[in-house]
Amino acid sequence: MLRSRPALLDVIASWTDPFLSAPRAADSFPNKWAPEMLNITNLRRTFFAGTADEKVALDGLSLSLGKGEFGVIIGSNGAGKSTLLNAISGALQVDEGTIAIADDDVTRMPVHDRARHVARVFQDPMKGTASGMTIAENMLLAELRTSKARLKPGLTRKRLDNYREQLSYLKLGLEDRMDTQVSLLSGGQRQSLSLVMAVIKEPDILLLDEHTAALDPRTANLVLNATLRAVSALKLTTLMVSHNMQHAVDYGNRILMLEAGKVKLDISGAEKKGVSVQSLTNHFAIKSDRMLLGA
Amino acid sequence: MNEVISTFIALIPVTLAQSLILSFVVLAIMIPFRILSFPDLTSEGAYPLGGAVCAIAMVSGVPAYLAIPLAVVAGFVAGCATALIHLRFKIHTLLAGILVTTMLYSVNLRILGKPNVPLFKETKLFDYLDLGKGMNNLEKILIVGLLMGVVGFGLRLWFMTERGIAMRAVGDNPDMAEAQGNNVDRAIFLGVGAAGGCAALSGSLMVQSQAFVDVNMGIGLLINALAALMIGETILGRRKISQQLLAPFVGSLIYYQLISFCLAAGLAPSDLKIATGIFVLVMLGAPILKGKRNTTRLAKESIRE
Ligand SMILES: Nc1ncnc2c1ncn2[C@@H]1O[C@H](COP(=O)(O)OP(=O)(O)OP(=O)(O)O)[C@@H](O)[C@H]1O
Ligand SMILES: [Mg+2]
Repeated sequence: MLRSRPALLDVIASWTDPFLSAPRAADSFPNKWAPEMLNITNLRRTFFAGTADEKVALDGLSLSLGKGEFGVIIGSNGAGKSTLLNAISGALQVDEGTIAIADDDVTRMPVHDRARHVARVFQDPMKGTASGMTIAENMLLAELRTSKARLKPGLTRKRLDNYREQLSYLKLGLEDRMDTQVSLLSGGQRQSLSLVMAVIKEPDILLLDEHTAALDPRTANLVLNATLRAVSALKLTTLMVSHNMQHAVDYGNRILMLEAGKVKLDISGAEKKGVSVQSLTNHFAIKSDRMLLGA
Repeated sequence: MNEVISTFIALIPVTLAQSLILSFVVLAIMIPFRILSFPDLTSEGAYPLGGAVCAIAMVSGVPAYLAIPLAVVAGFVAGCATALIHLRFKIHTLLAGILVTTMLYSVNLRILGKPNVPLFKETKLFDYLDLGKGMNNLEKILIVGLLMGVVGFGLRLWFMTERGIAMRAVGDNPDMAEAQGNNVDRAIFLGVGAAGGCAALSGSLMVQSQAFVDVNMGIGLLINALAALMIGETILGRRKISQQLLAPFVGSLIYYQLISFCLAAGLAPSDLKIATGIFVLVMLGAPILKGKRNTTRLAKESIRE
């Protein structure tokens, strides 16, 4: 459901406000009894099965996320983070296991049907937008994510006014460039647009795969803050992949460390509040020690 | 020189009628190529298929206004076959189109029963408009022009609807379109099918215009259509969807007049193909030679495999 418009506008308005810092790991996250939004059991995916290049990317991974929970996924390169997000969005079929979103078993559901549950922002700003189309058209596509495209006029005056207003709160001037091709925007502008597009219709689950990694530090910070505000104000159930340990410590209510296709570490609640970058890196260190010892 | 001009002028009406009919083939090239990023050659087979289906239907007593829709449906199915081969077997779009075109040659021969069939006594679509003696070409121009207007306007409306905009997204960024809830396969079936239908429409009009059908009538058509498309896009640009939709029609009108002029000026018809080929090559290659690599969407167009 789309939240009442003023509330959504407030959220967007606060995104780029320099006087508002990003919300820290909040106490307002739902407790353990919140209804489940994402339930993953025993997910398995092997690439190049039966060849010398065989690679188990997901190795019986299970994970569940309550409504409104915000999990930050960390783990070394090749741990299976992107594979997990691809499996959830449906971009990748799994060999075994089940995925349920909002009590809907989506394991074999094609991507375009799953879209009504899932919104995504990619690392590559090119991926999340149709670059040959205009800003307004991209906004329309995002608005249609949760419904079927119909044989009705697309960019109505009313919609254009809506989009213009929603974009104006980004303070990037995009509202005056509604007819501009997205390919002409900078990476940061495009990623901000992707973010608005992802939340314009509140998704059941928001997937963020290192979505600030391709941006310069200042822009990355801007987009990250915008993300955090949107997530906390709209209480979106979110999975964010990050290589930044500090982010994992500071944001969200859960840290999920992936290793070799499994959740190696799942820190939440009070324990999450006590965690530090040091203690997290120790886990990485222990892992590599073990690897050295061949255990 | 005067003779050249007068020959050219005398040819204008017949060339105009011709180019209006063939503009639907140019449209059939444009839709998959530009809107869906699905470069497609099915037209070369769908065009004679439309001609064959229409001619045989008319010979068997079906009136022209029903034979044409029949041809369009046949062309739609041909387009869908190409889409299916590509989507199901992951065969490159161009190769899928060549496969279908090749197979259609046999199909067309089967439909016709012999390489060519005359359509002398049947009532053609153009016979429904009678402007008097010697007005043949004008009748064709008016009727096909009207059809062109209807199709063009219909497409313009379609691409303003939610579904039309979603279809363009499928061509622009299929992964994104899919992630926004659009059925990519269905859009491709629809678009490539519609292109096949357009090519068949053109074929069905052409056999009525020339009063016979020939199984070889599609050969070499594609390069002409591509050249016409390049001209239209160069003149109009293709930033906006309205420009993109108008380009096939404008391009076709101009291209065939150019050809007619070349012929009037004494170019041997057998040399036309190389002239057209060189022309397309220059149109595609010029921006690269000028070093503006990024502006040549065409040359480096991402081809969906
Ligand atoms: N499409 C694919 N084909 C073959 N192997 C793949 C594919 N996608 C992922 N893999 C393999 O699966 C493993 C997990 O990859 P994944 O991309 O999920 O890692 P990641 O945790 O996202 O890493 P990074 O931090 O580098 O983004 C890797 O070993 C990778 O090589
Ligand atoms: Mg990754």
